[in-house]
Amino acid sequence: MKKIRLKHYINYLILGGALALFVALDLLGALKRSDASLLTQIGYSIILAVSLNLVVGFLGELSLGHAGFMCVGAYVGGVLYNMLIPACGTVAALLIALPVGGVVAAFFGFLIGLPALRLKGDYLAIVTLAFGEIIRTVILNQDFFGGPMGLPSQRFGDRLYILAFALAIVTVFVSQNLRRSKHGRAIQAIRDNEIAARAMGVNVTYYKLVVFAIAAFFAGVAGVLYASSTSLVQSTNFSFNYSIEILVMVVLGGMGSITGSMISAALLTFITVKLTVGLPSELAAIEPLVYALILILAVMWNNAPFLRPLRVKLHDKIAALRDRILPHKEVDGSDAAATAAWDTIPTKIPMDALLSTDFTVDHSFDADRPEKEEK
Amino acid sequence: METLINGLSLGGIYALIALGYTMVYGIAKMLNFAHGDIIMAGAYAIFVVIGLQGNLLLSAAALLVAILLCVTLGILTERVAYRPLRGASPLAVLITAIGVSYLLQSIAQLVFKSEGLPVSTGAASLGSVPFLGTNLKVSSLLTLGLCIIIMTALTLFVDKTRIGRAMLAVSEDRAAASLMGINTNFIITLTFAIGSALAAFAALFYLMQIPVVTPVLGSLPGIKAFTAAVIGGIGSIPGAMLGGILLGVIECFCQSVPEISPYTTAIEFGLLIVILLVRPVGLLGKKRREKV
Amino acid sequence: MKSACKILSLALALVFCLGCFAACGGTDDKTILIGGSGPLTGANSQYGDAVLKGAQIAVEEINAAGGYAGYTFKLQMIQDDCGAVEAENAYNQLFDLGMKVSIGSVTSGSAKAFATAAKDDGIFCLTPSASADDVIAVGNHSFRVCFGDPQQGVIAADELVTEKGFAKIGVIYDTSDTYSTGLYQAFEERMTELEKVKGTDYVVYTFTSENNTDFTQQVTELKNFGCDAIFLPIYYGEAALIAKSAATHPELKDVPVLGCDGLDGIAGQLDSSVTAEVRYITPFDINSTEANVAAFVAAYRDKYGKDPNQFAADAYDAVKILYEAMKAGEVDPAAAASEICSALAEVLTGGTFKYSGLTGDNMTWTEGGSVEKEAKIVKVQ
Repeated sequence: MKKIRLKHYINYLILGGALALFVALDLLGALKRSDASLLTQIGYSIILAVSLNLVVGFLGELSLGHAGFMCVGAYVGGVLYNMLIPACGTVAALLIALPVGGVVAAFFGFLIGLPALRLKGDYLAIVTLAFGEIIRTVILNQDFFGGPMGLPSQRFGDRLYILAFALAIVTVFVSQNLRRSKHGRAIQAIRDNEIAARAMGVNVTYYKLVVFAIAAFFAGVAGVLYASSTSLVQSTNFSFNYSIEILVMVVLGGMGSITGSMISAALLTFITVKLTVGLPSELAAIEPLVYALILILAVMWNNAPFLRPLRVKLHDKIAALRDRILPHKEVDGSDAAATAAWDTIPTKIPMDALLSTDFTVDHSFDADRPEKEEK
Repeated sequence: METLINGLSLGGIYALIALGYTMVYGIAKMLNFAHGDIIMAGAYAIFVVIGLQGNLLLSAAALLVAILLCVTLGILTERVAYRPLRGASPLAVLITAIGVSYLLQSIAQLVFKSEGLPVSTGAASLGSVPFLGTNLKVSSLLTLGLCIIIMTALTLFVDKTRIGRAMLAVSEDRAAASLMGINTNFIITLTFAIGSALAAFAALFYLMQIPVVTPVLGSLPGIKAFTAAVIGGIGSIPGAMLGGILLGVIECFCQSVPEISPYTTAIEFGLLIVILLVRPVGLLGKKRREKV
Repeated sequence: MKSACKILSLALALVFCLGCFAACGGTDDKTILIGGSGPLTGANSQYGDAVLKGAQIAVEEINAAGGYAGYTFKLQMIQDDCGAVEAENAYNQLFDLGMKVSIGSVTSGSAKAFATAAKDDGIFCLTPSASADDVIAVGNHSFRVCFGDPQQGVIAADELVTEKGFAKIGVIYDTSDTYSTGLYQAFEERMTELEKVKGTDYVVYTFTSENNTDFTQQVTELKNFGCDAIFLPIYYGEAALIAKSAATHPELKDVPVLGCDGLDGIAGQLDSSVTAEVRYITPFDINSTEANVAAFVAAYRDKYGKDPNQFAADAYDAVKILYEAMKAGEVDPAAAASEICSALAEVLTGGTFKYSGLTGDNMTWTEGGSVEKEAKIVKVQ
């Protein structure tokens, strides 16, 4: 019988546990309205980060237009609500809007995947950026979409966060299983070395398009959720800066790590919203300053080569602490071997190749720990 | 005709900024997202020096102060924010650059508030010369002329001097360059210094055209110039110039037609996509062979 | 890394729970919390900042005079960056803090979202400055102090065409801004009513504030059209740049400029190069000799060291109107927010309530929530 290992379920445990905790709080009446709406935002941020992680972390292409797909989903959601709610009620409208928003966004993802076949690195990145801005500009100037005021939408009350978290779990499920399938390995092969992958018979065209489409699908779903949480869908929200924010979530969480994307999405959304609404008006001006400092310091801490010994030390300490608290954790040989075998598949990301066309730093002779350990 | 001239003078500014992007990208292999905000800092420096009673002499003095500030800031960010991350993934560096950009903007906002501060550079006192039945602003000519001079000087510097060739070497292969005895850290710092000095020039010419300073002054021209640099082929100095001018001209032509004007950004980015699809390395970019 | 994640997530959950319970203390019994949101940081923070400061002066004056029925007022404004979602976040936070009445939000989009969120809870919204009709159309709990976009667009068209008789008018507006498009649409409708033809009697060029900072091209087009008046239904920052750009063309040097209340503040942005006459429609004149205006301007300068603009005056009036309406309706401050809301709405639309303040005398309100007051056209010195 196959052994059930915690590692494969930790993401569901975190999300499910958090959801259960908050539902319990909600039933006790301890969940305030601002917290409930914050939870919805955290829910769709997680969907966005995990889906962007598919493109950036697994496929190894930099996308700066993720907010564009979300924008498509949000406007599709808003339009469908305005059309369908009078006809068939809110719940049915929501159930129709979610897949439709996702599919329309996926179609645009497919379109953006097409240039990805010819372009790489920075060039692809700027094309995705351009795409996001084009979508937004076009929508902004259509009266059909409400123009600059925005498109009126339907708010689904305070319990929307349950749906948001459920959809986040679905996103994680798809993402994780894609990664563990043979397709996932093919995708990671493309990331690690496209030419080699092609030589091994991997259908690069097909996989690139599929990954872009899946990521866009979930961004579209997040967009529909967004449209369900606000009374006004405004295109200004989906600017380039928002794409960057999503990218920051992925990078801070450690590229390629689903758990990391989830947690940093939750934390960053939490920090942003709490800083915005929590700081008294006199101090509101320092909010962007604090955010910028957190960003820089977090990246430094995670990535700076000179901090590596410190990180390793901390990591060891945490491990020691964990072993003391949970001494019976099954770390028997077979499991360790299985884990190790598992870990070798998502190898280190050739991030240098991601942004530069030629320059690669080879760390293979570093006497240090392998990259994987500190993510 | 007038539209073309307006486009050229706007494009000149984009080109100057794009030169800064392209220099840093070509040698340090990183997108310096904070470049636009270094321009913003330079613009505030100019504002502090000349304020509302600007004349040309004062503007020249202000330019020196701005160059000083921008270069200091450029070297400082490189040392504090980027150098510790050398060898880490470029994406991490990219995010740090974004962080630096936010940081500079929020500092400017804390110090100067978000309201726009008007500046008089004295550019209007230069007047204009009649040309083919239209009036040509001298400040626009100056921008374009200077842009061409800087471009030529940079190309010569990179191609002919020892340091310039060292830059090329670092750009080709950093590890090999350092094995050949080139101080790569110094070269990269120098690149940042040059890029930031260009930013100071861009700040002055930007203010001559658009005489108001805000904390977000740099971000929009930054993105447009980045687009221009990619259109021209990032890493290529004449490419940056070409891309910038192309973008400026297109922008002005779009804005002269009210029906198209709202879609200006979409058209600019659409052009970018088309150009990249036809020539994946930009107009003047060098093709590199991919190796396993 | 896994363990680090676990610890982080635990910490997050913990922070949440603490956050949930810590703030459950409720507000002080003897204060009336006035909520509001606005752009307090970022590109538009001058507007939010002015509203906050103007409203704060009114609150302090009221409290110094003994408050209302034994209660003191407390103002809490939260940053919304002109966005709908941010305004809703701000609203939820204020709701949790126990907001009784609100001054809505500063800009149109966020004010609409704020008012929509407030509708279900029945929290009164009196926005100082959100001028789009969509904002007050949300429900009969939503009112405004400033002029609406349609009102101003009509005033501008009448002024330019009927009063001054300009034959060729050039318009530049911002297609990405609700305020600007609202003003322009009303202007265009009025021009059609006045039987003026687009393209011959007036021309329109546009920009988007998030993508344009250079207006040379639009100004060149106005020059080629040969206009004898320029109408700028936009905010003052861009208007100042356009005026300066126009001043570089000999043909446009002396062409008068008319704007709406968004132009308030342009005086500080212009320099000696602009010689044309710049005027704008506003209910508030900082140089007015009326005693209450002079007192407010003095208090504002004294407290904040700068000149108040129309946003600050509107916000001051908004708080004062809330106070006066509470007095007039003998509202019980201990009642639920929705009861206060319906009582206030009744007072404002009742027909007898009139308010005279900084931004007009004898203001009255329609059923729809729009204000009736007199417009002034102020010339920039």
